[in-house]
Amino acid sequence: MATQLDLQPQLKLRPAARVMNLVRLGSLHASRLSFARSLVRQMAREDWTVSTVRRELDSQGHGVVIYRLQTPHHTYHGVIFSQHLDPALRSDRVIAEAWDVTFALVEGPVGDSLLEQMASNVPLQEAGRQHPRLLVLSRANKSLRNFDHFVDALASGRQPDPAWLTRVGYLYRTTAVYGNGKFGIADYARLQKNPDFNRPFSAQMFAVYLLRHFSIQQVEHLACSRSPDTAVPLAAALQRYLGIGNSTGLGMAPFLINHPQLIQQWVYCRERALAFAREQRPTEGTRHGLMRLLRRAHQHFVETVTEDHEQTQRNLATVASIESVIHWLDQTPATPTLWDDLLDWADDHCSLEAQELINTLLIELYPDLIDAAEDDLGCEEILELQPEMRAATLRQMIESKFAWALDYEPGNPGHNYWFWYRSAEKEEPRLGVRSEEPGAEKELSLAIGPRIHNTYQLLDVFLDRSSRGSVVEFLMAHPGQKECVRRIQTMGATPYGEIQANLWHRDMKPMHLLRTKLSFFGASRFDPKSDRWVRVTLFQGAPLFSELFSDYGADKARLAALDDWSFPVEPEPDSL
Amino acid sequence: MKVSFNELQGMGRKAFIGIGFEEGDAIDAAEMVAWMEAHGLGGAAALKKGLDYLLREDPNEPPTLVYQDADFSVLDAHNHSILGNASLALELGYARARARGLSITKIRHCHNRVLVIGYLSRLARRGMNVTAFWRNSHEPLIEQVVGFRAGHPVPEICIYSLEDIPDDTEKNDGITLIMANHVDLLPSLRSDYALTNLMRQTEEDLELQRDRALVEGLEVDDQLWKTMKSLADRLLVEATEASRGGAGAGTTDND
Repeated sequence: MATQLDLQPQLKLRPAARVMNLVRLGSLHASRLSFARSLVRQMAREDWTVSTVRRELDSQGHGVVIYRLQTPHHTYHGVIFSQHLDPALRSDRVIAEAWDVTFALVEGPVGDSLLEQMASNVPLQEAGRQHPRLLVLSRANKSLRNFDHFVDALASGRQPDPAWLTRVGYLYRTTAVYGNGKFGIADYARLQKNPDFNRPFSAQMFAVYLLRHFSIQQVEHLACSRSPDTAVPLAAALQRYLGIGNSTGLGMAPFLINHPQLIQQWVYCRERALAFAREQRPTEGTRHGLMRLLRRAHQHFVETVTEDHEQTQRNLATVASIESVIHWLDQTPATPTLWDDLLDWADDHCSLEAQELINTLLIELYPDLIDAAEDDLGCEEILELQPEMRAATLRQMIESKFAWALDYEPGNPGHNYWFWYRSAEKEEPRLGVRSEEPGAEKELSLAIGPRIHNTYQLLDVFLDRSSRGSVVEFLMAHPGQKECVRRIQTMGATPYGEIQANLWHRDMKPMHLLRTKLSFFGASRFDPKSDRWVRVTLFQGAPLFSELFSDYGADKARLAALDDWSFPVEPEPDSL
Repeated sequence: MKVSFNELQGMGRKAFIGIGFEEGDAIDAAEMVAWMEAHGLGGAAALKKGLDYLLREDPNEPPTLVYQDADFSVLDAHNHSILGNASLALELGYARARARGLSITKIRHCHNRVLVIGYLSRLARRGMNVTAFWRNSHEPLIEQVVGFRAGHPVPEICIYSLEDIPDDTEKNDGITLIMANHVDLLPSLRSDYALTNLMRQTEEDLELQRDRALVEGLEVDDQLWKTMKSLADRLLVEATEASRGGAGAGTTDND
């Protein structure tokens, strides 16, 4: 069914050269189209309910908990195994072999036999063989400082200090959330006809959201076990302010390069939403609405803490930019061109992160028309060859759509500085310096720019000989070019195409790749631990299960209020 | 052991690259094997049968064009598996059919021919009617015909044995493909000929099989999986202290 956005063929989209620039992509924020936001809206709209069907936790919080999820269409179970973890083994890296909790989302019932199979395999994660009814497999480690502080506070009858959650917004952080057939679990194809989880990463997002619920129950259980007479439950405002962390490294980068159609689709949906928002006639109401959102985002970034110097500078620049934007908006009436004027002004006066923040908040203003785009975030992924195309047309396509790739200089050491590879240690993706480290002969072919450049050079020579030759004739002469050619043909036909960066370049920052994906997930509080490792928070500020279910069902005002949780700020002490 | 479709495809891709396939060929070969397995057509078993040959072949030797005119091509695959870059021969037939309405492509001297079905599915999805024909064995003479309707990702398949073997027949290790832009080329058995229908699978049969495979997973021989894993491991770089820093993570997460 066509959405409102589909009916707007004349939308003025930002050009690909601007949008797909890696530094700009690395400045994106979570938006209302991010998967976490989208999932929460769906849960609220459809009255998803979660009940605890088994809770066997000892006084240390170790044991098994099983939750049942009931949607209008199906029943699922979340199974969580909590265990003691030797601190020496606590690592967020993929090379870890044990975790504080391991968990899975299961389609259908969990009988004794399946539970036994899961108990033997889920805690092993990659080393286990998982059941095909598992939709998601994941694990998480405690944020020890927060965990201890929360248990101590609740056990002694007081609420934890909210500032702790502002510094680190979770009790657990996941270190991998697997879907799509990994280690024997269900293929994504199985979910494509399932209305509950047919959007990209929605099953994974639900598993993470369920872990948040568990983390609250577990910390309350521990406080109660320790001091049954004095313990108090966690205040609702703090439960809301509690998210789930995620620790992510280079493992995310291959996904972005190996799923170009999906990434393109995500960007295209967001850009269509932005273009649509820009075309709406501003009113005093929307002008003030944007200022309200900006003020909350301002507070969010003022409070955000990171030890990373560069991210701190970026956050400070964002804060300063937002102050300028609020001042500018306060002085500027809601003329018909206000949004375009604002974005033009922001281009000249705001940092990159602030520019993208304004775009994100502008999209917030038009939920009725924009939210339908969330159904377009998936796509069929197949790179198709057009063998009958003239080779000359392919060359023109490279020149017009992939000019950025032709900037690559094969003889320039700076353009060939890095290489990407998988280590023998649990296949962890790593980055090496080509001239210094061994393994370049086994590198992953992630640098699309240099490959396109190579294809272009071969095409030039081929066309000198066979000016009217076809693509298949070119490929018969150069069979190794097949993958690159069909990628060029497929992505060249899309509005946004490829991420425009040479991933071998000395100045390339892997962090931008990670942030691109994490922003679409809905992550906030970007906290880089190096230029290729980051911790983020998901679902901070999101409504709780208990708030989602209501007899009022699809009451529009209620749903809008539940959905208004982006850029959360620290709760006031008197709200606890 | 049970594996998912994505696992079989992913492991296959890495294993084929480990053998020395170019990336595009490795992706196609892995998809052909996984597609066949998911549709109950024995992709993993066919791979197992052909793997020893595959390991001895030069993966960078493409099929040679023996003859071509505007709508007929003959290629020699040099006794290589269809999993290698034989896909380009199919793409040649596709391009010819797009230009001329119909094309005939013969690929001579190839093995693992049944796996070609996985790639033909791609061509059919792109709107091409395709029929592939080959003979499986000489005595008894068994013929296999696979027909895809344009736009349909699954074929109809006929396998039958002939009771009378023509005198002038000889061992056939080739495959013949007919592609047509605008007309259906689905196989339909002649009832007035002396043959034994060994298998007939409809689109519906294959779709049901695929749905079942997505629920239950795919059964793959343990030894084949081990071999594929060891081939895939050829792509891994030995870890060093310096390389551990290449992941960019911290050393402790007890915070």
